[in-house]
Amino acid sequence: MKFKLIYPRWEKLEGQTIFYLPPHGPVVMAAAVPEDIEIDFTDENVEDLVIDDSADLVGISMMLTTQVKRGWEIADQYRALGKKVIFGGISTMLHAEETMLHADSVFLGEVEGRLEQVFADFRKNDLKKIYNYLSKPPDMNLIGPANRNILKKDLYYHKGFRMVDLFHASRGCIYDCYPCAVRYLGGRGFRPRPIDRVVEELSQMDNNRLFIVDNSLALDTEWEKELFKAMIPLKKKWVSHTIEDKNEVLDLAAQAGAWYVYQAVFDTSDYIRNRIKQYHDYGIAVEGTILLGLDNQTEDDIKRLIDFLLEIDLDLAEFTVLAPFPHTKAYSDLLKQNRIFDKDWNHYNAGKVVYQPKHMSPERLTELYHYAWDTFYKDEPQTMKMFNLINRVMSKELADGTYTARRRDLADLSFGKKVTDTV
Amino acid sequence: METNPAFNKYMDRYYDYLGHWDSPSKCGLKLIKRQDGKTLAIATEIYRQNPGTAVTEVVDSLATQILKTSGEAPGGLIFIEHTPDLGSKLTFYGESFDRVEFEWNGEKFSSPVWTRLTKEQVDRMMEE
Repeated sequence: MKFKLIYPRWEKLEGQTIFYLPPHGPVVMAAAVPEDIEIDFTDENVEDLVIDDSADLVGISMMLTTQVKRGWEIADQYRALGKKVIFGGISTMLHAEETMLHADSVFLGEVEGRLEQVFADFRKNDLKKIYNYLSKPPDMNLIGPANRNILKKDLYYHKGFRMVDLFHASRGCIYDCYPCAVRYLGGRGFRPRPIDRVVEELSQMDNNRLFIVDNSLALDTEWEKELFKAMIPLKKKWVSHTIEDKNEVLDLAAQAGAWYVYQAVFDTSDYIRNRIKQYHDYGIAVEGTILLGLDNQTEDDIKRLIDFLLEIDLDLAEFTVLAPFPHTKAYSDLLKQNRIFDKDWNHYNAGKVVYQPKHMSPERLTELYHYAWDTFYKDEPQTMKMFNLINRVMSKELADGTYTARRRDLADLSFGKKVTDTV
Repeated sequence: METNPAFNKYMDRYYDYLGHWDSPSKCGLKLIKRQDGKTLAIATEIYRQNPGTAVTEVVDSLATQILKTSGEAPGGLIFIEHTPDLGSKLTFYGESFDRVEFEWNGEKFSSPVWTRLTKEQVDRMMEE
Protein backbone atom coordinates (compact mmCIF):
# COMPACT_ATOMS: atom_id res chain seq x y z
CA MET A 1 0.00 0.00 0.00
CA LYS A 2 1.28 3.42 -0.98
CA PHE A 3 0.80 6.44 1.29
CA LYS A 4 1.46 9.82 -0.26
CA LEU A 5 2.52 12.24 2.47
CA ILE A 6 2.61 15.94 1.61
CA TYR A 7 3.94 19.01 3.41
CA PRO A 8 2.31 22.00 1.69
CA ARG A 9 4.27 25.06 0.69
CA TRP A 10 3.74 28.49 2.17
CA GLU A 11 4.72 31.97 1.17
CA LYS A 12 7.88 33.18 2.85
CA LEU A 13 8.11 36.58 4.51
CA GLU A 14 8.95 39.41 2.17
CA GLY A 15 12.56 40.53 2.39
CA GLN A 16 13.65 37.76 4.74
CA THR A 17 16.48 35.32 4.20
CA ILE A 18 14.96 32.23 2.65
CA PHE A 19 15.99 28.83 3.87
CA TYR A 20 14.25 25.51 4.27
CA LEU A 21 14.71 23.04 7.07
CA PRO A 22 13.71 19.39 6.85
CA PRO A 23 10.23 19.34 8.38
CA HIS A 24 9.76 17.64 11.71
CA GLY A 25 6.06 16.73 11.85
CA PRO A 26 6.11 14.44 8.80
CA VAL A 27 9.15 12.46 9.98
CA VAL A 28 7.66 11.98 13.44
CA MET A 29 4.40 10.90 11.87
CA ALA A 30 6.20 8.58 9.42
CA ALA A 31 7.83 6.76 12.34
CA ALA A 32 4.39 5.71 13.54
CA VAL A 33 3.20 4.41 10.16
CA PRO A 34 3.07 0.59 10.00
CA GLU A 35 6.19 -0.83 8.38
CA ASP A 36 4.41 -2.55 5.51
CA ILE A 37 3.23 0.76 4.11
CA GLU A 38 5.31 2.54 1.49
CA ILE A 39 5.61 6.28 2.17
CA ASP A 40 6.20 8.70 -0.69
CA PHE A 41 6.92 12.12 0.81
CA THR A 42 6.87 15.50 -0.91
CA ASP A 43 7.92 18.72 0.80
CA GLU A 44 6.35 21.23 -1.52
CA ASN A 45 8.69 23.95 -0.29
CA VAL A 46 11.65 22.33 -2.01
CA GLU A 47 10.11 20.27 -4.81
CA ASP A 48 7.13 20.31 -7.11
CA LEU A 49 4.12 18.24 -6.21
CA VAL A 50 2.69 16.05 -8.94
CA ILE A 51 -0.91 15.23 -8.19
CA ASP A 52 -1.92 11.91 -9.66
CA ASP A 53 -3.82 8.79 -8.66
CA SER A 54 -0.82 6.57 -7.91
CA ALA A 55 -1.25 6.61 -4.14
CA ASP A 56 -3.79 4.60 -2.18
CA LEU A 57 -4.17 7.15 0.59
CA VAL A 58 -3.04 10.77 0.79
CA GLY A 59 -1.84 12.40 4.01
CA ILE A 60 -1.34 16.13 4.42
CA SER A 61 0.83 17.27 7.29
CA MET A 62 0.55 20.94 8.21
CA MET A 63 2.52 22.87 10.81
CA LEU A 64 1.76 26.51 10.04
CA THR A 65 -1.46 28.42 9.68
CA THR A 66 -0.05 29.75 6.40
CA GLN A 67 -0.06 26.18 5.06
CA VAL A 68 -3.70 25.40 5.59
CA LYS A 69 -5.23 27.01 2.52
CA ARG A 70 -2.69 25.33 0.25
CA GLY A 71 -3.27 22.05 2.08
CA TRP A 72 -7.01 22.30 1.50
CA GLU A 73 -6.39 23.09 -2.18
CA ILE A 74 -4.22 19.98 -2.57
CA ALA A 75 -6.82 17.85 -0.79
CA ASP A 76 -9.60 19.12 -3.03
CA GLN A 77 -7.60 18.10 -6.09
CA TYR A 78 -6.87 14.61 -4.78
CA ARG A 79 -10.47 14.09 -3.72
CA ALA A 80 -11.60 15.12 -7.19
CA LEU A 81 -9.52 12.16 -8.41
CA GLY A 82 -11.36 9.91 -5.97
CA LYS A 83 -8.54 9.66 -3.46
CA LYS A 84 -9.12 9.66 0.27
CA VAL A 85 -7.27 12.39 2.18
CA ILE A 86 -6.34 12.48 5.85
CA PHE A 87 -4.92 15.58 7.56
CA GLY A 88 -2.69 15.83 10.61
CA GLY A 89 -0.19 18.12 12.29
CA ILE A 90 -0.25 21.25 14.38
CA SER A 91 -2.24 23.53 12.12
CA THR A 92 -4.71 20.76 11.35
CA MET A 93 -5.46 20.83 15.06
CA LEU A 94 -5.67 24.62 15.12
CA HIS A 95 -8.01 24.70 12.12
CA ALA A 96 -9.78 21.38 12.50
CA GLU A 97 -13.35 22.43 11.76
CA GLU A 98 -12.41 24.18 8.53
CA THR A 99 -10.04 21.40 7.52
CA MET A 100 -12.80 18.81 7.89
CA LEU A 101 -14.57 20.47 4.97
CA HIS A 102 -11.70 19.38 2.73
CA ALA A 103 -10.87 16.02 4.31
CA ASP A 104 -12.07 12.47 4.47
CA SER A 105 -10.47 12.30 7.87
CA VAL A 106 -8.62 14.53 10.32
CA PHE A 107 -6.25 13.27 12.98
CA LEU A 108 -6.06 15.38 16.13
CA GLY A 109 -3.37 14.75 18.69
CA GLU A 110 -0.18 12.72 18.72
CA VAL A 111 0.23 9.69 16.49
CA GLU A 112 2.33 7.16 18.39
CA GLY A 113 0.46 3.89 18.73
CA ARG A 114 -2.56 5.17 16.83
CA LEU A 115 -1.84 4.85 13.12
CA GLU A 116 -2.19 1.07 12.91
CA GLN A 117 -5.89 1.58 13.57
CA VAL A 118 -6.17 4.42 11.06
CA PHE A 119 -4.65 2.38 8.25
CA ALA A 120 -6.68 -0.68 9.23
CA ASP A 121 -9.82 1.44 9.03
CA PHE A 122 -8.76 2.72 5.62
CA ARG A 123 -8.22 -0.82 4.36
CA LYS A 124 -11.73 -1.73 5.53
CA ASN A 125 -13.08 1.39 3.81
CA ASP A 126 -14.07 2.58 7.25
CA LEU A 127 -11.89 5.66 7.69
CA LYS A 128 -13.34 7.77 10.51
CA LYS A 129 -14.13 11.43 9.90
CA ILE A 130 -12.17 12.31 12.98
CA TYR A 131 -9.55 10.62 15.14
CA ASN A 132 -9.50 12.66 18.30
CA TYR A 133 -6.60 12.07 20.65
CA LEU A 134 -6.23 15.67 21.78
CA SER A 135 -6.73 14.84 25.44
CA LYS A 136 -4.98 11.50 25.30
CA PRO A 137 -1.24 11.94 24.87
CA PRO A 138 0.62 8.70 24.21
CA ASP A 139 3.06 6.97 26.51
CA MET A 140 6.31 8.87 26.02
CA ASN A 141 8.14 5.53 25.78
CA LEU A 142 6.36 4.95 22.48
CA ILE A 143 8.09 7.91 20.84
CA GLY A 144 10.91 6.30 18.95
CA PRO A 145 13.37 7.79 16.48
CA ALA A 146 11.72 9.86 13.78
CA ASN A 147 11.75 8.33 10.30
CA ARG A 148 14.03 10.72 8.41
CA ASN A 149 14.47 8.20 5.61
CA ILE A 150 11.40 9.67 3.92
CA LEU A 151 13.29 12.94 3.31
CA LYS A 152 15.14 13.68 0.11
CA LYS A 153 18.06 14.96 2.13
CA ASP A 154 20.00 16.55 -0.73
CA LEU A 155 17.23 19.14 -1.05
CA TYR A 156 18.12 20.67 2.31
CA TYR A 157 21.52 22.02 1.35
CA HIS A 158 22.54 25.53 0.39
CA LYS A 159 25.66 25.67 -1.77
CA GLY A 160 26.80 22.40 -0.28
CA PHE A 161 26.11 23.39 3.33
CA ARG A 162 23.64 21.16 5.09
CA MET A 163 20.79 22.64 7.08
CA VAL A 164 20.14 21.56 10.66
CA ASP A 165 17.85 18.61 11.31
CA LEU A 166 14.93 19.05 13.67
CA PHE A 167 14.63 16.95 16.78
CA HIS A 168 12.52 16.93 19.93
CA ALA A 169 13.25 15.77 23.45
CA SER A 170 9.94 16.67 25.10
CA ARG A 171 6.36 17.69 24.45
CA GLY A 172 3.86 19.97 26.15
CA CYS A 173 4.41 23.05 28.24
CA ILE A 174 3.33 24.25 31.66
CA TYR A 175 3.06 27.88 30.60
CA ASP A 176 0.21 29.75 29.02
CA CYS A 177 2.12 32.28 26.96
CA TYR A 178 0.07 34.93 25.27
CA PRO A 179 0.77 34.15 21.59
CA CYS A 180 1.29 30.39 21.94
CA ALA A 181 -1.11 27.51 21.27
CA VAL A 182 0.93 24.75 22.87
CA ARG A 183 -1.40 24.54 25.86
CA TYR A 184 -4.09 23.47 23.39
CA LEU A 185 -1.90 21.29 21.21
CA GLY A 186 0.31 19.51 23.66
CA GLY A 187 -1.57 19.66 26.89
CA ARG A 188 -0.67 21.73 29.91
CA GLY A 189 1.87 19.35 31.35
CA PHE A 190 5.53 19.03 30.49
CA ARG A 191 6.22 15.56 29.08
CA PRO A 192 9.90 14.82 28.69
CA ARG A 193 11.03 11.83 26.68
CA PRO A 194 13.07 9.23 28.52
CA ILE A 195 16.72 10.20 28.21
CA ASP A 196 17.77 6.82 26.80
CA ARG A 197 15.23 7.15 23.98
CA VAL A 198 16.49 10.64 23.22
CA VAL A 199 20.09 9.45 23.08
CA GLU A 200 19.06 6.48 20.92
CA GLU A 201 17.58 8.84 18.35
CA LEU A 202 20.44 11.34 18.47
CA SER A 203 22.97 8.55 17.99
CA GLN A 204 21.23 7.48 14.80
CA MET A 205 21.20 10.95 13.25
CA ASP A 206 23.83 11.51 10.58
CA ASN A 207 23.60 15.31 10.86
CA ASN A 208 25.89 16.86 13.45
CA ARG A 209 23.85 20.09 13.59
CA LEU A 210 20.41 20.08 15.09
CA PHE A 211 17.54 22.31 16.06
CA ILE A 212 15.93 21.01 19.25
CA VAL A 213 12.42 22.27 18.66
CA ASP A 214 10.99 21.77 22.17
CA ASN A 215 8.98 24.77 23.30
CA SER A 216 11.31 25.23 26.22
CA LEU A 217 14.01 23.11 27.76
CA ALA A 218 13.71 25.13 30.95
CA LEU A 219 10.83 23.25 32.53
CA ASP A 220 12.44 20.52 34.61
CA THR A 221 15.93 21.23 35.92
CA GLU A 222 16.93 17.67 36.78
CA TRP A 223 15.73 16.25 33.45
CA GLU A 224 17.42 19.11 31.61
CA LYS A 225 20.73 18.43 33.35
CA GLU A 226 20.48 14.69 32.73
CA LEU A 227 19.68 15.36 29.08
CA PHE A 228 22.71 17.59 28.61
CA LYS A 229 25.00 15.19 30.44
CA ALA A 230 23.85 12.37 28.17
CA MET A 231 24.39 14.52 25.09
CA ILE A 232 27.99 15.48 25.83
CA PRO A 233 29.60 12.32 24.35
CA LEU A 234 27.57 12.70 21.14
CA LYS A 235 29.32 15.99 20.28
CA LYS A 236 26.30 17.35 18.44
CA LYS A 237 25.94 21.09 17.93
CA TRP A 238 22.48 22.46 18.40
CA VAL A 239 20.09 25.34 18.46
CA SER A 240 17.16 25.46 20.87
CA HIS A 241 14.64 27.64 22.56
CA THR A 242 15.22 28.88 26.09
CA ILE A 243 17.63 27.10 28.40
CA GLU A 244 17.28 27.58 32.14
CA ASP A 245 19.28 30.45 33.64
CA LYS A 246 21.04 28.37 36.30
CA ASN A 247 24.79 28.39 35.87
CA GLU A 248 25.20 24.65 36.28
CA VAL A 249 22.57 24.05 33.58
CA LEU A 250 24.16 26.48 31.15
CA ASP A 251 27.57 24.95 31.78
CA LEU A 252 26.24 21.49 30.92
CA ALA A 253 24.38 22.87 27.90
CA ALA A 254 27.57 24.39 26.57
CA GLN A 255 29.42 21.11 27.08
CA ALA A 256 26.58 19.30 25.32
CA GLY A 257 27.00 21.47 22.25
CA ALA A 258 24.64 24.41 22.66
CA TRP A 259 25.35 26.60 19.65
CA TYR A 260 22.74 29.31 19.95
CA VAL A 261 19.35 29.80 21.57
CA TYR A 262 16.20 31.63 20.69
CA GLN A 263 15.45 33.94 23.57
CA ALA A 264 12.35 36.11 23.77
CA VAL A 265 13.23 39.74 24.38
CA PHE A 266 10.09 41.41 25.64
CA ASP A 267 11.39 44.44 27.47
CA THR A 268 14.49 46.52 28.14
CA SER A 269 15.10 45.29 31.66
CA ASP A 270 18.34 44.33 33.33
CA TYR A 271 16.91 40.83 33.55
CA ILE A 272 17.03 40.53 29.77
CA ARG A 273 20.42 42.24 29.56
CA ASN A 274 21.88 39.83 32.12
CA ARG A 275 20.20 36.83 30.52
CA ILE A 276 21.91 37.52 27.20
CA LYS A 277 25.24 38.13 28.90
CA GLN A 278 24.89 34.90 30.84
CA TYR A 279 24.45 32.88 27.64
CA HIS A 280 27.43 34.63 26.09
CA ASP A 281 29.54 33.90 29.17
CA TYR A 282 29.06 30.21 28.42
CA GLY A 283 29.87 30.62 24.72
CA ILE A 284 26.26 30.25 23.65
CA ALA A 285 25.09 32.71 21.03
CA VAL A 286 21.63 34.29 21.17
CA GLU A 287 19.02 34.98 18.54
CA GLY A 288 16.51 37.36 20.08
CA THR A 289 12.89 36.79 19.18
CA ILE A 290 11.00 40.02 19.38
CA LEU A 291 7.24 40.19 19.19
CA LEU A 292 5.86 43.55 18.13
CA GLY A 293 2.35 44.90 18.50
CA LEU A 294 1.46 43.79 22.02
CA ASP A 295 -0.99 45.96 23.90
CA ASN A 296 1.67 47.22 26.27
CA GLN A 297 3.85 48.59 23.43
CA THR A 298 3.62 52.15 22.19
CA GLU A 299 5.63 53.39 19.23
CA ASP A 300 8.24 54.77 21.62
CA ASP A 301 8.44 51.43 23.42
CA ILE A 302 9.16 49.63 20.17
CA LYS A 303 11.85 52.10 19.16
CA ARG A 304 13.41 51.90 22.61
CA LEU A 305 13.36 48.10 22.43
CA ILE A 306 15.21 48.12 19.12
CA ASP A 307 17.87 50.48 20.51
CA PHE A 308 18.21 48.13 23.47
CA LEU A 309 18.76 45.12 21.18
CA LEU A 310 21.71 46.86 19.60
CA GLU A 311 23.17 47.59 23.04
CA ILE A 312 23.00 44.05 24.36
CA ASP A 313 25.02 42.51 21.55
CA LEU A 314 22.51 40.01 20.24
CA ASP A 315 23.96 37.68 17.63
CA LEU A 316 20.78 37.63 15.57
CA ALA A 317 17.29 39.03 15.96
CA GLU A 318 14.00 37.89 14.51
CA PHE A 319 11.10 40.33 14.52
CA THR A 320 7.50 39.28 14.20
CA VAL A 321 4.21 41.03 14.62
CA LEU A 322 1.64 39.42 16.83
CA ALA A 323 -0.40 36.88 14.91
CA PRO A 324 -3.48 35.80 16.86
CA PHE A 325 -3.45 32.11 16.02
CA PRO A 326 -6.56 30.19 17.01
CA HIS A 327 -6.49 28.61 20.46
CA THR A 328 -4.15 31.22 21.92
CA LYS A 329 -4.91 33.77 24.60
CA ALA A 330 -4.01 36.46 22.09
CA TYR A 331 -6.78 35.19 19.83
CA SER A 332 -9.27 34.99 22.69
CA ASP A 333 -8.52 38.50 23.90
CA LEU A 334 -8.62 40.13 20.47
CA LEU A 335 -11.73 38.18 19.55
CA LYS A 336 -13.51 39.43 22.67
CA GLN A 337 -12.60 42.97 21.76
CA ASN A 338 -13.61 42.50 18.12
CA ARG A 339 -10.17 43.67 16.96
CA ILE A 340 -9.34 40.95 14.42
CA PHE A 341 -10.15 42.33 10.97
CA ASP A 342 -8.41 39.85 8.67
CA LYS A 343 -9.26 36.13 8.69
CA ASP A 344 -7.27 35.17 5.59
CA TRP A 345 -5.02 32.49 7.05
CA ASN A 346 -2.37 33.15 4.41
CA HIS A 347 -1.82 36.49 6.15
CA TYR A 348 -1.06 34.87 9.52
CA ASN A 349 2.66 34.76 8.80
CA ALA A 350 3.70 37.03 11.68
CA GLY A 351 4.77 39.64 9.16
CA LYS A 352 1.36 41.04 8.33
CA VAL A 353 -0.87 42.87 10.78
CA VAL A 354 -4.30 41.21 10.94
CA TYR A 355 -5.72 42.98 13.99
CA GLN A 356 -6.13 46.49 15.32
CA PRO A 357 -3.16 47.28 17.60
CA LYS A 358 -3.97 49.16 20.78
CA HIS A 359 -1.61 52.12 20.44
CA MET A 360 -1.20 52.64 16.71
CA SER A 361 -2.71 51.89 13.35
CA PRO A 362 -2.03 48.57 11.60
CA GLU A 363 -0.13 50.51 8.95
CA ARG A 364 2.11 52.14 11.54
CA LEU A 365 2.83 48.80 13.18
CA THR A 366 3.79 47.42 9.76
CA GLU A 367 6.18 50.35 9.29
CA LEU A 368 7.74 49.74 12.70
CA TYR A 369 8.12 46.05 11.89
CA HIS A 370 10.16 46.92 8.80
CA TYR A 371 11.99 49.63 10.74
CA ALA A 372 13.01 46.99 13.31
CA TRP A 373 14.51 44.65 10.72
CA ASP A 374 16.23 47.47 8.83
CA THR A 375 17.64 49.11 11.93
CA PHE A 376 18.95 45.98 13.59
CA TYR A 377 20.71 44.75 10.44
CA LYS A 378 21.82 48.17 9.17
CA ASP A 379 25.50 47.86 10.06
CA GLU A 380 25.87 44.12 9.61
CA PRO A 381 23.42 42.29 7.32
CA GLN A 382 21.59 39.20 8.48
CA THR A 383 23.56 36.95 6.12
CA MET A 384 26.81 38.20 7.62
CA LYS A 385 25.62 37.63 11.16
CA MET A 386 24.51 34.11 10.20
CA PHE A 387 27.87 33.52 8.57
CA ASN A 388 29.54 34.49 11.86
CA LEU A 389 27.43 31.93 13.70
CA ILE A 390 28.31 29.24 11.18
CA ASN A 391 31.98 30.07 11.54
CA ARG A 392 31.61 29.70 15.26
CA VAL A 393 30.12 26.22 15.03
CA MET A 394 32.68 25.15 12.44
CA SER A 395 35.46 26.12 14.83
CA LYS A 396 33.91 24.04 17.57
CA GLU A 397 33.48 21.09 15.22
CA LEU A 398 37.07 21.33 14.01
CA ALA A 399 38.21 21.37 17.63
CA ASP A 400 36.31 18.21 18.56
CA GLY A 401 36.79 16.37 15.27
CA THR A 402 33.20 16.36 14.08
CA TYR A 403 33.48 18.84 11.22
CA THR A 404 32.15 17.65 7.89
CA ALA A 405 33.19 19.57 4.80
CA ARG A 406 30.55 21.03 2.55
CA ARG A 407 29.28 18.86 -0.30
CA ARG A 408 31.10 19.93 -3.47
CA ASP A 409 28.60 18.08 -5.64
CA LEU A 410 25.84 20.37 -4.32
CA ALA A 411 27.88 23.58 -4.39
CA ASP A 412 25.86 25.15 -7.20
CA LEU A 413 22.50 24.22 -5.75
CA SER A 414 20.36 25.91 -3.16
CA PHE A 415 17.58 23.72 -1.82
CA GLY A 416 17.57 21.66 -4.97
CA LYS A 417 17.58 24.57 -7.39
CA LYS A 418 20.41 26.22 -9.27
CA VAL A 419 21.90 28.91 -7.08
CA THR A 420 20.51 32.40 -7.25
CA ASP A 421 21.21 35.25 -4.87
CA THR A 422 18.24 34.53 -2.63
CA VAL A 423 20.42 33.43 0.26
CA MET B 1 -16.48 22.55 55.51
CA GLU B 2 -12.96 23.36 54.37
CA THR B 3 -12.75 26.17 51.85
CA ASN B 4 -10.54 25.83 48.79
CA PRO B 5 -7.96 28.66 48.93
CA ALA B 6 -8.42 29.18 45.20
CA PHE B 7 -12.02 30.15 45.76
CA ASN B 8 -12.96 33.79 46.16
CA LYS B 9 -15.76 36.27 45.79
CA TYR B 10 -16.24 35.41 42.12
CA MET B 11 -15.71 31.67 42.26
CA ASP B 12 -16.94 29.20 44.85
CA ARG B 13 -16.58 25.93 43.02
CA TYR B 14 -15.04 24.22 40.02
CA TYR B 15 -17.16 23.33 37.03
CA ASP B 16 -16.29 20.57 34.60
CA TYR B 17 -17.29 21.14 31.00
CA LEU B 18 -16.60 19.74 27.58
CA GLY B 19 -14.30 21.87 25.46
CA HIS B 20 -13.27 21.57 21.85
CA TRP B 21 -13.70 18.03 20.56
CA ASP B 22 -15.14 17.10 23.94
CA SER B 23 -11.86 17.78 25.72
CA PRO B 24 -12.38 17.53 29.49
CA SER B 25 -12.11 21.12 30.71
CA LYS B 26 -12.54 22.98 33.98
CA CYS B 27 -13.31 26.51 35.09
CA GLY B 28 -14.27 28.32 38.26
CA LEU B 29 -17.95 29.05 38.72
CA LYS B 30 -20.21 31.16 40.89
CA LEU B 31 -23.96 31.10 40.46
CA ILE B 32 -26.04 33.78 42.16
CA LYS B 33 -29.79 33.86 42.22
CA ARG B 34 -30.47 37.58 42.06
CA GLN B 35 -33.30 39.50 43.61
CA ASP B 36 -34.82 40.06 40.18
CA GLY B 37 -35.08 36.30 39.72
CA LYS B 38 -32.31 36.03 37.14
CA THR B 39 -29.25 33.86 37.59
CA LEU B 40 -25.83 35.49 37.40
CA ALA B 41 -23.14 33.03 36.29
CA ILE B 42 -19.49 34.00 36.63
CA ALA B 43 -17.14 31.61 34.82
CA THR B 44 -13.51 32.03 35.74
CA GLU B 45 -10.60 30.93 33.54
CA ILE B 46 -8.22 28.97 35.75
CA TYR B 47 -5.35 28.65 33.26
CA ARG B 48 -2.97 25.87 34.36
CA GLN B 49 -5.66 24.18 36.42
CA ASN B 50 -7.79 23.89 33.30
CA PRO B 51 -6.68 20.76 31.45
CA GLY B 52 -8.71 21.51 28.34
CA THR B 53 -10.14 24.36 26.32
CA ALA B 54 -10.04 27.96 27.54
CA VAL B 55 -13.33 29.51 28.63
CA THR B 56 -13.36 32.16 25.89
CA GLU B 57 -12.93 29.63 23.11
CA VAL B 58 -16.05 27.68 23.95
CA VAL B 59 -17.96 30.30 25.89
CA ASP B 60 -21.23 29.68 24.05
CA SER B 61 -21.04 25.95 24.63
CA LEU B 62 -19.99 26.48 28.25
CA ALA B 63 -22.90 28.85 28.86
CA THR B 64 -25.25 26.26 27.37
CA GLN B 65 -23.84 23.57 29.65
CA ILE B 66 -24.18 25.83 32.70
CA LEU B 67 -27.71 26.76 31.70
CA LYS B 68 -28.75 23.13 31.48
CA THR B 69 -27.29 22.25 34.85
CA SER B 70 -28.71 25.35 36.53
CA GLY B 71 -32.25 24.81 35.34
CA GLU B 72 -32.51 28.49 34.44
CA ALA B 73 -34.42 29.73 31.37
CA PRO B 74 -32.17 31.05 28.57
CA GLY B 75 -33.41 34.60 29.03
CA GLY B 76 -32.81 34.41 32.76
CA LEU B 77 -29.09 33.76 32.59
CA ILE B 78 -26.64 36.63 32.87
CA PHE B 79 -23.21 35.34 31.92
CA ILE B 80 -19.92 36.92 32.96
CA GLU B 81 -16.51 35.71 31.91
CA HIS B 82 -13.77 36.37 34.44
CA THR B 83 -10.02 36.12 34.01
CA PRO B 84 -8.14 36.45 37.30
CA ASP B 85 -4.99 38.44 37.89
CA LEU B 86 -2.04 36.06 37.52
CA GLY B 87 0.36 38.53 39.09
CA SER B 88 2.36 38.65 35.87
CA LYS B 89 4.16 41.79 34.83
CA LEU B 90 2.64 41.26 31.40
CA THR B 91 -0.54 43.29 31.20
CA PHE B 92 -2.52 40.64 29.35
CA TYR B 93 -2.69 38.54 32.49
CA GLY B 94 -4.46 41.12 34.61
CA GLU B 95 -7.97 40.69 35.93
CA SER B 96 -10.85 41.30 33.59
CA PHE B 97 -14.60 40.83 33.50
CA ASP B 98 -16.74 40.63 30.38
CA ARG B 99 -20.45 40.25 30.10
CA VAL B 100 -21.17 37.79 27.30
CA GLU B 101 -24.43 37.93 25.41
CA PHE B 102 -25.57 35.23 23.04
CA GLU B 103 -28.19 34.27 20.54
CA TRP B 104 -30.45 31.39 21.60
CA ASN B 105 -31.72 28.99 18.92
CA GLY B 106 -34.00 26.95 21.15
CA GLU B 107 -31.27 24.44 22.01
CA LYS B 108 -28.04 26.26 22.55
CA PHE B 109 -26.28 29.60 22.75
CA SER B 110 -24.18 30.93 19.88
CA SER B 111 -22.66 34.14 18.48
CA PRO B 112 -21.09 35.47 21.69
CA VAL B 113 -20.52 39.20 22.04
CA TRP B 114 -18.28 40.42 24.86
CA THR B 115 -18.65 43.72 26.70
CA ARG B 116 -15.94 44.73 29.17
CA LEU B 117 -17.14 45.43 32.72
CA THR B 118 -15.42 47.00 35.67
CA LYS B 119 -15.11 45.12 38.91
CA GLU B 120 -17.50 47.61 40.51
CA GLN B 121 -20.10 46.93 37.85
CA VAL B 122 -19.81 43.21 38.51
CA ASP B 123 -20.14 43.75 42.25
CA ARG B 124 -23.33 45.74 41.70
CA MET B 125 -24.72 43.06 39.39
CA MET B 126 -24.11 40.48 42.10
CA GLU B 127 -26.31 42.40 44.51
CA GLU B 128 -29.18 43.37 42.22
